[in-house]
Amino acid sequence: MSVFMDLNIISSNDKNRLKSIIETAAHLGYSTVAINYVVEPQQKKQEIPKPQSVSDIFDKFPIVQGKSSPIKVLNRLTIIASDASHFRPTNEYKSFDLVAVYPKTEKLFHAACMTFDVDIICIAVAEKQPFHFKRAPVNGAIDRGVFFETCYAAAIRDTTMRRYTIANAISLMEVCKGKNIIMSSGAERPLELRGPYDIANLGLVFSLSEGDAKAAVSTNCRAVLLHGETRATASGVVYTMKKPKTPQKQEEESPVSKKKSDTFGNI
Amino acid sequence: MSPELEKCPRSLLVCEKSNFLNEKSRHDFHVSKHNFNYKISVLMPECGMLPANISTVINSFSHYYLVRALPVHELLEETFLESLVKKGHFYALSYNTKIDEDNSIALLSSGQLILSLDKDTYEQLGLEGRPSLYNHRKAMRFVVTLDLTDKSLSPGTKRYQRVLSSLKDRLPLRYDFFFTKYNTGADEDKTLNKLLSQYAYEEHKPAVSHQTLKEIPCPTLYPSDIQGKTLSCDPHHFLEWLGAVNLDINCENAADSFLSTYVCPEPQSSVSQALLCTVTGFISPENVFALLKELRFTPWVSLTVHGFMDSPVSWGATEHGFLKGGENFYNFVCFKNQDYWLHMATGAQDGCPP
Repeated sequence: MSVFMDLNIISSNDKNRLKSIIETAAHLGYSTVAINYVVEPQQKKQEIPKPQSVSDIFDKFPIVQGKSSPIKVLNRLTIIASDASHFRPTNEYKSFDLVAVYPKTEKLFHAACMTFDVDIICIAVAEKQPFHFKRAPVNGAIDRGVFFETCYAAAIRDTTMRRYTIANAISLMEVCKGKNIIMSSGAERPLELRGPYDIANLGLVFSLSEGDAKAAVSTNCRAVLLHGETRATASGVVYTMKKPKTPQKQEEESPVSKKKSDTFGNI
Repeated sequence: MSPELEKCPRSLLVCEKSNFLNEKSRHDFHVSKHNFNYKISVLMPECGMLPANISTVINSFSHYYLVRALPVHELLEETFLESLVKKGHFYALSYNTKIDEDNSIALLSSGQLILSLDKDTYEQLGLEGRPSLYNHRKAMRFVVTLDLTDKSLSPGTKRYQRVLSSLKDRLPLRYDFFFTKYNTGADEDKTLNKLLSQYAYEEHKPAVSHQTLKEIPCPTLYPSDIQGKTLSCDPHHFLEWLGAVNLDINCENAADSFLSTYVCPEPQSSVSQALLCTVTGFISPENVFALLKELRFTPWVSLTVHGFMDSPVSWGATEHGFLKGGENFYNFVCFKNQDYWLHMATGAQDGCPP
């Protein structure tokens, strides 16, 4: 099993609230969290926000309880899509570590599972699922390495939403058989966070097996992170890194090339 | 409700009864095999004050050290191997590492170095190991076992050089460690002190606390009936009651109290006072054995030894994991006539105790 992660903490402009949520997450034992910027392109042409630099939030990140390393904070983008034109992978998406989509219609769900370049597909928690999950797109997503996400903060806030969360989650688990599932909070306040073992137990209510439920908070989240990292690479094998080029090095390069032409006669 | 919800993670309880004077008794084997002990709690019914002999034994428990940011390759250095590991009675365990999340290192008294590594560390380190027994669909945890007393790993051999270079250059691992050494009398402290002086460390003494409980019901136990069929109570109920007493949980089961429904198992008798003594720290099995020899009181004394939840091994080199809980403990019930009961219990991801 890998470290525990919570990949959905709703971002807010209130820096102190964000700080307290991250401190609570570190205290509960999460080693990595992702701040989620939710965008709904339908309203008045909303622009993709620029993610706040992580080092702006904390000078010194809080230490995870029970370990000696600090908590890791990432940035994530969620697009609420009710139309195919809403999801347009532009350069702005590249500044986020993770990209997620929340499809509102069946056609979009199918497209998201099979073609969209995303890491996470969110499942409705605050309302009855408007469409049924079909085996074909879900299996297609599993093959591609895309993960389905269930949030539990809505279940904490309201009893009606609790019913919807559990019902939607159970219907998803029937189709995907417990594979490629992650569970995250969707917390807007520190009180809406729960410990990782509690969420693993919540997975049992969603009809996951014990190993699958624990993996949904640890191993599968790690897989999502790796999927997000490889989105910026060529087939996950080759990636570019900016190398700081100093003027000294450029001077050294020219005598070397001169030598080469002398030895071989051509450059 | 789905049938999955009614299932709980499994737990194992092994019960054994024998007599301390019996030559075939394996109590010393079981105690010595359980390498890493975190907490000892002793419950003595009908006892008010801590007896002097027990108090002297507890005060003579060896000290343990917490070393900060120690590189793992130091555990393979030649002088360290010769003076500490090969002579035995030396235990080391990584601190602040969770067994189900990150890497965990343990050095047993038998000279085996166990590295329980996650997938990324294992692949980067490049040492030979096997996948953990408690992996789910994908192998995410691997266990590397190095026998430091083995000839093929003696300093100078190719394999030793390879292991040392992996831990030093390829992936330098650094963790906080607990060290403890049971001194058999000879003066061997110099190497340990020399090693410790290079890194930040703190020396600790095991913390002792005791309280006297008044007017509590205690189960009556008869040495011959361990299964609880006729005279005594069922071992599960007995251990549950013992846990409740240790945690100061009310066992009256009053009609208007909804907090706890734990009861003292039948048959029971009320005792006027009982002594509960707890020692916490990094305690070596030899110290536990010394304490065990002193516990002979009427009607019975119970000694519970808890292992670390995050240690990579439980008994010997049996792998230990953490699913929802990582308990691995054993409990002795000692009677005046040298009879004893031994209950050994583990949680879900653990091998059967010996």
